[in-house]
Amino acid sequence: MSASTMPRAARPAATARSGGPGFARVVASEWTKLISLRSPWWTAVVTVVVAGLITYLSASASSVDPGFTPASDLTTGLMLAQIGPLVLGVLVGAGEFRTGAFRTTFTLVPRRWPALAAQVLVVTAFALGIGVLTLAASALALLPPAASRDLPLGLTAGDTPGIMLRTVLFVVGLALVGLALGALLRRTVPALITALVLVIFLPVVLMMVGDPGVDAAGMAAPHQVTVPGAIGAFTPGTAAQLMTTSTSHGPMPGTPDIGPVGGTLVLGAWVVLLLVVAAVRLRVRDVR
Amino acid sequence: MIEVEALTKRYGSTTAVDGLTFTARPGTVTGFLGPNGAGKSTTMRVVVGLERATSGTARVDGRRYADLPAPLHAVGVMLDARSVHPGRTAYKHLLAMAQTHGIGRARVQEVIAQTGLEPAAHRRAGTFSLGMGQRLGIAGALLGDPATLVLDEPVNGLDPDGVLWVRRLVRELAAEGRTVLLSSHLMHELALCADRVVIIGRGRLLADATVQDVVDRSERAGTVRVRTTDPEPLTRELLATGAQVTPQDGGVLQVRGATVDEVGTAARRCGATVLELGTESGSLEEAYLQLTGDAVEYRTADTREGAR
Amino acid sequence: MTTLTSGSRAAARTPRGAPARPGVRFARVLVAEWTKLTSVPSNPWLALGTVVAAAGTAYGLGLFVRPDDGRSGSWVVVSGFVLAQLGFLVLGAVVGTSEHTTGTARTTFTAVPRRLPVLGAQAVVTAVAAGVTAAVALGASYLATTGPRAGDAPALDLAVPGTTRALVGFVVVAVAVSLLGLGLGALLRRPADALVTGVLLVFLLDLTLSGNPGPVTDTVRALLPSAGTRLLEDDAAVAVLDAATRGPELGAWGGAAVLGAWVVVVLGAAAYRLVRHDVR
Repeated sequence: MSASTMPRAARPAATARSGGPGFARVVASEWTKLISLRSPWWTAVVTVVVAGLITYLSASASSVDPGFTPASDLTTGLMLAQIGPLVLGVLVGAGEFRTGAFRTTFTLVPRRWPALAAQVLVVTAFALGIGVLTLAASALALLPPAASRDLPLGLTAGDTPGIMLRTVLFVVGLALVGLALGALLRRTVPALITALVLVIFLPVVLMMVGDPGVDAAGMAAPHQVTVPGAIGAFTPGTAAQLMTTSTSHGPMPGTPDIGPVGGTLVLGAWVVLLLVVAAVRLRVRDVR
Repeated sequence: MIEVEALTKRYGSTTAVDGLTFTARPGTVTGFLGPNGAGKSTTMRVVVGLERATSGTARVDGRRYADLPAPLHAVGVMLDARSVHPGRTAYKHLLAMAQTHGIGRARVQEVIAQTGLEPAAHRRAGTFSLGMGQRLGIAGALLGDPATLVLDEPVNGLDPDGVLWVRRLVRELAAEGRTVLLSSHLMHELALCADRVVIIGRGRLLADATVQDVVDRSERAGTVRVRTTDPEPLTRELLATGAQVTPQDGGVLQVRGATVDEVGTAARRCGATVLELGTESGSLEEAYLQLTGDAVEYRTADTREGAR
Repeated sequence: MTTLTSGSRAAARTPRGAPARPGVRFARVLVAEWTKLTSVPSNPWLALGTVVAAAGTAYGLGLFVRPDDGRSGSWVVVSGFVLAQLGFLVLGAVVGTSEHTTGTARTTFTAVPRRLPVLGAQAVVTAVAAGVTAAVALGASYLATTGPRAGDAPALDLAVPGTTRALVGFVVVAVAVSLLGLGLGALLRRPADALVTGVLLVFLLDLTLSGNPGPVTDTVRALLPSAGTRLLEDDAAVAVLDAATRGPELGAWGGAAVLGAWVVVVLGAAAYRLVRHDVR
């Protein structure tokens, strides 16, 4: 009421008052959107807890082996925990389209790609946090089994520091694969199915036949690269597994020896490829 | 017939509906009014069994909704136009509804024709405009040819033609002896098609009366409006007779406590020239705003008392 | 305009659309659920995708099986299940959650306020759709592996003990996995939650635990729904599994019973939630 009785002055142009949607502002906005939802927090908690729990169980089981080295069990929880960042990424990427919130976002940021870039940034930051906590939980989970044998954790020895670094990258990479698939397919269920097939099912299927197995004499076959194994090394799932596998384990059966760094590069290439395709689709196709 | 008795619905610590009692009778269009969040939709959802009441009852034709042997024939429901799978065509959506009660395809075609959906019947519901979705919702409500209809905001998003169509439809349905419970924010629309109104605020009943009764309760109702060239002498004259006068812009006086005859006579006595003279009737909108405004003011007044 | 009526205009009237025997009956809800399942275009695509995934995987794996692998002809034909099970899981989960995610629940449960018949009908149509899809997928896998089986891969020989069970098991386990998906969907009401839980239960937990064999992990693995896939193995392969485990020896049908128990429990929990909780 009081507003209508006030003398009307010409409104200053919006840009003169506060500026447009600069990239930093879009990032701040995306960060607010991410942390104001419940699902990212749940996903983070479950991921960290599952990683710690499985690592603890594995390390406890293998602590009875004579040659037990605690650090070698550091990443055993990731097999299960990897689903967390993947789902987080899919939910963030597809969430806007599923809920209709994208209408708000893209009217505020009409060029659209800054919104995607900002999402990449905030998901990277959030997943970085999850990755560090996952690593911490896994390391803590090693303490009781190591103590039971009076062994040091040995986290600074050999290639363990590298594995620790790549464990964090692994979590971030899978979150970004999920994000790109979500943004590309725009619907939760198809994006989730695709992510699960690419990251979890395909590597196992290829492993089933890629493994040259044991020969008739019961001896492990010498390392040989098989066609399915070679394909497998270039799926995001297997590449991600390679990232956190110690080189002392040797190459995975049937896969070419691209090593942990190779695995990191393959996963990185998948992230870039999928994000570029998602950005192109965002740019050229209508949003409804 | 819908009978709601002492209905209370709580979600955790929030009380959405608080001891609500009202009846929607056959042959009558009952308008259901209240501000956003007053508990209209919650009440309707409890009536059709989607949510269970914390206490109290809601009955349709004397039974709990879940105990009706053929709910589609008893009650036609439209709660939210977006109660459709976006990937399914309108025809298939209605067909699946009809099949639960063994209703034939002919009837499905009939309601599609009746609601003007024919051109869109085989399009996926996800592509529908708001108005089309609304028509599909109404088609679903009519499917079982029910004796009672529960319609939540049926004219939302409809074009003027559609609004007129819903108004006629609702009147016809009531004229055929059906019970219609209808919520809307459009007061003007409701004044035209409802017989009775049930007004709620913060989950409580504020009014349950005929539209006319409610309109008569508005402050303006029964006052006399006079436009004159000489407002000041006329005001003095009227105040002397014991009437209440509220001066307004343009020489208009709002007079309470005097008839048209008395105002006319008073004007002749003081020599004022009358340009316009007549009784005012209130509107449903005014009555509604006063009722619901009171409900809000009641609380703010409380806090003011405390502040003093 | 404002006629005050109190039932005066109410007249005795019979509904026009009324059938001979009015009301909701299970057979009618069943027909309605079938219409709902088949009228969403993504469902037939999902079925087709599942068939292609099964046959394609079986063909691909068949190419790399050698005679000295110790794998049988039935293994080659049903090997696509590892990927196809995701399709069956999704089918059930989508049927279970779509009511709640799209708001169709409001329509469905006002038409059938007793609610349980809807879940029952959904279970029947999901089982039928999954069964038919699985049978087609099995046929397609058989045809797709004709080439490999004529080559290095072992031939399909019904005389090998357990072969018939493995083939039938493909369909049975597919149906069970789809029902597990339905139960999880109806229980959790959100597709992402249902899918992730389903994948954990039928696949990923078992895979993770298999990395650390031991009495505890092997017992847990035996109690997961993934134990149901033992039905897909021939007798020799089941014997190998039972010999290797340090937990309970389930045999083929023991695994199937574990899966069946999961289906019953999860569907029961979903039924409880459906009846007890409000529909949004």
